[in-house]
Amino acid sequence: MDIDYIGEWTLLAWTGRFLVALAFASALAAVISFLKGWNDWGKRSFQIHAVSTFAVIALVFVLFGFHRYEFQYIWKHLNNAMPMRFILSAFWGGQEGGFLLWMFWHNVLGLILLRKTTKWTGPAMATLSGIQVFLTSMILGIYFGEFQLGLDPFLLLRDAPQYAGLPWTARADYLTAFPLFADGQGLNPLLQNYWMTIHPPTLFLGFAATSVPFAYAIAGLADREDRSWMRPALRWSFFTIGILGTGILMGGAWAYEALSFGGFWAWDPVENSSLVPWLTTVAGGHLLLINRNRQKPLALFSTYYFILISFLLVLYSTFLTKSGILGDTSVHSFVDSGILPQLLVYLLSFLALGHLMLLRPGVWRKRALVAIAILGLICLKGYVIEALTGFLLVLGVAAVKAYRKDIERTEEEDSIWSRDFWMFVGALLLLVSAAHITWQTSLPVFNAFLEPWSGVLASLGDSLDSDFLRDLSAHNLAPGTDLDRTYHLVQVPLAVLIMLGVGFAQWLKYKHTNMQVVLRKLFIPLLVAVLLTAGLLWQFAFEWWELPRVALLFAALFATASNADYILQLGRGKWKQIGSPLAHVGFGLVIFGAVLSTSQKNIISQNQIGDISTLNESLNNREDLLIMEGDTLKMGKYFVSYRDRYTEGIHVKFRMDYFDQLPRVYAPGEVVFFDGMVFEALEAHEASELFTDDMEDHWMFIPFPNERQAKSAKLWESGVPGTKQFTLEPRIQLNEQMGNAPEPDTRHWLHRDLYTHIKWGRVTPPETDEEGWMGGRSHTMQVGDSMLIGHSLLTVDSLRAIADDEKPDRGLLLKDLAIAACVQLKNKTEQSNFEPLYIVRDSLVIPDMFEAEAFGIKMRIESFDPNEETLEMTIWEHLSVRRDFVVMQAVLFPLINVLWLGCILMAIGSGMAVYARWTRDEKSNPKRPI
Amino acid sequence: MSLLFVAILVGTFIATFTSTSRSVGFAEALKEPGEECKISGTLVREEPVIYDPIVDPGKTVFWMEDRDGKTCRIILEKAKPTGLENSESIDLYGSMIDGAFHATEMLMKCPSKYNESNHVLMNEAGDSSS
Repeated sequence: MDIDYIGEWTLLAWTGRFLVALAFASALAAVISFLKGWNDWGKRSFQIHAVSTFAVIALVFVLFGFHRYEFQYIWKHLNNAMPMRFILSAFWGGQEGGFLLWMFWHNVLGLILLRKTTKWTGPAMATLSGIQVFLTSMILGIYFGEFQLGLDPFLLLRDAPQYAGLPWTARADYLTAFPLFADGQGLNPLLQNYWMTIHPPTLFLGFAATSVPFAYAIAGLADREDRSWMRPALRWSFFTIGILGTGILMGGAWAYEALSFGGFWAWDPVENSSLVPWLTTVAGGHLLLINRNRQKPLALFSTYYFILISFLLVLYSTFLTKSGILGDTSVHSFVDSGILPQLLVYLLSFLALGHLMLLRPGVWRKRALVAIAILGLICLKGYVIEALTGFLLVLGVAAVKAYRKDIERTEEEDSIWSRDFWMFVGALLLLVSAAHITWQTSLPVFNAFLEPWSGVLASLGDSLDSDFLRDLSAHNLAPGTDLDRTYHLVQVPLAVLIMLGVGFAQWLKYKHTNMQVVLRKLFIPLLVAVLLTAGLLWQFAFEWWELPRVALLFAALFATASNADYILQLGRGKWKQIGSPLAHVGFGLVIFGAVLSTSQKNIISQNQIGDISTLNESLNNREDLLIMEGDTLKMGKYFVSYRDRYTEGIHVKFRMDYFDQLPRVYAPGEVVFFDGMVFEALEAHEASELFTDDMEDHWMFIPFPNERQAKSAKLWESGVPGTKQFTLEPRIQLNEQMGNAPEPDTRHWLHRDLYTHIKWGRVTPPETDEEGWMGGRSHTMQVGDSMLIGHSLLTVDSLRAIADDEKPDRGLLLKDLAIAACVQLKNKTEQSNFEPLYIVRDSLVIPDMFEAEAFGIKMRIESFDPNEETLEMTIWEHLSVRRDFVVMQAVLFPLINVLWLGCILMAIGSGMAVYARWTRDEKSNPKRPI
Repeated sequence: MSLLFVAILVGTFIATFTSTSRSVGFAEALKEPGEECKISGTLVREEPVIYDPIVDPGKTVFWMEDRDGKTCRIILEKAKPTGLENSESIDLYGSMIDGAFHATEMLMKCPSKYNESNHVLMNEAGDSSS
């Protein structure tokens, strides 16, 4: 079918596809060349690969820039309304862009590695090019029958398989004929945020950087004799630590600034799966640090293994988040885009590569290879999970074999008072931490693995009478919601040990240390940490069960103080050594800031029940505050007032004014309500925070208030609003694509933040009938009950039967049975009594609508239960008297800036360490750079 | 050293195994009231979603049908999430108390605008051209 489509940039699409194919082919050529040792050819191939990838990226940007909606990727992620400053966010808004970004960084890193040729360049570049082969295949977009290899970023909408054969795809003028193609779907507004411009590239650079130490480790495993690969691997590991750490915390900052889940870290699977490679890189990097200068290596297997799994965990993380397998356990919802098998092959190939390389070349490596090949065939037969289980077993056996026999081991134990020993212990602790987080995150994967064995496990469980096995057979594990039990229980003690190690090991020397000197040096940091912890205990209220948390705060303070002291004692001219202790200071501050601000966050909107507290004592609205437009309510040390709302672009903004609190001064004789009782002030005094503090000294209980007292009594208050301090505008983003989303507004101080967001607010006008009455609500009431309807307080005072002589006046027949409810309505300005009727005529209920015009309320008694003496009333409210209100939450995060400061210091420290190491390596061995 | 390490690892796993919840249906949750679990399902559209901020801004009541087709009243201890009425699927974390499921956490999947437009491309654009 040859149709000359009008207005399409097909030429550009074909150019793009050609470039992708070229990138793929040249990456493949680079792998082969580097493996064969033809480094010049390899270098040239890789350069071609890099240039074509950059050209592909440039072309996609051109398509974005010209709003070419005939392309599916553009149509999905751009629309005419989107400001061009978010073009970067739009670019990596989809999977294709994500892969391109990832490839981009690998190319940049590869070109840097290629700047100088050493013994290790070729082998390392072979692995890096291999990674690029797999990544490029993710954007090939070739179909083999049903099987799809990669997602084509240049796919035309009309070629998308889901539209194949639809009539519009056969129209040459479809682009102009349907308005649908004049505008795209647009980027999810939640991503239209400057954080989304800087967070993904930083994170992806961190992810990409894990591949460099990986590539060197593979090269080292291929050589096995020379351990000089560790030098370049070391500085790239620390580069990774700095960048990936910053990227992760930027994600936290984005969540905190722009999303409304009330914090910067939620142990979400997506967050976790980027944290875990960071932890293992930290562990691996420190092991490299131990081994780089040693003749006899310490924990060489672990060194290799940590470096390998850091990259493998990045692949696993990509698999988890992009494959859709996490599905319903994460708020970051990803859809299965049909490349799951491909992602899996990518992950498994490098898992196999890493583990096979751990084995010495020889019979075991061949056996493992054969086993994997057989499992591959089993997998193709359809037993996917079984084959995968077997695959992991093979890898496990390979790892154990390599650990016992194939990797050099040192039998002599190190001195316990050496830096090496404690770094190794720290690395193991980090691994346990990473393993635990991976476990919790991988439960959906684990369930998938359990599924085929369900029957076996169930019968085993029955025969052994083990609930544990029976539980496993149900393969329905899900992460717990109690973060304390799910994560903190394990992570906090681990972190305590790690932080103590960070503070302590810095003072140790490699090989052996004179401990007396060290202990003397530790005295000041310990003292500082103890004093600061005591200060915290005095300032904040910790519960006894929070002991591990306090221990962690102490340990983090100790680590910070110890490393800061180390920097101070370094003296002049040694600035090159500042990097590592500075990064450790940063890390300590990050942990301290994160733990303190989260555990001591103060939800000041809690339990503030305002006016309605008197109506319903069981009311406990937990963490949220309901506030009417124009009302001013006390919230923590502030008074908050909901001024108004306005719409700006895609946001509905709610203007909330904050006032400081002035003391409430009571004059003698003033009468107040408190807790349903009436009190009279004995003398002039300033109210305390709590009434109970004042009650005995300043108030007299009045058991039987007279009419004057009853009328003048007001609710007791501890303070009154003072002057306006600031205005916050939390907003609701109108988001057709993902549903309206609240966005917080935060007031920052140096020592704390006030973080507020709207939990519920009306963004569309309420539904009314033609006369403006809002849908009636049914209430069951007894005499004496009251309730708040809009501005008005409605009270049922009494019930009475209508006497016969009254009936004609009220338009009733004599035979009618009628009951009047004596209802009082009261608002700020007036108060009236009304008598809506309940009429029964010939055993039929005659509906009688009663309208209290001045109050904008109408009501109807639906039924009357004489036994219970309850009325069922439907009450309508008129739009004109309705008041707008919002439900909001406000949280004080103390010392959260310590977290961000720590993040910056950690990034600077890592950068300095990388730079110092780089220049030192170049100087000591000018022929062995990079 | 390594043995010790493996022991720590295994110990951690067993310790944390207890802190995972399970995803079940209402029938199972009813058998173990008070036990924390996860239930997935869809909103029952025939029943009203009751959220009255004036009465309690932190409570939303609705009905959900689980994967087995059983329905149950849900008391979500949160303000009504935006888009609940349009949700495609719901995951709740909480426990059964007195025959109603008290949820403390909730995740929703909402249909994206892309899917709707997809639908339009599949049908309306096709119809008008034929």
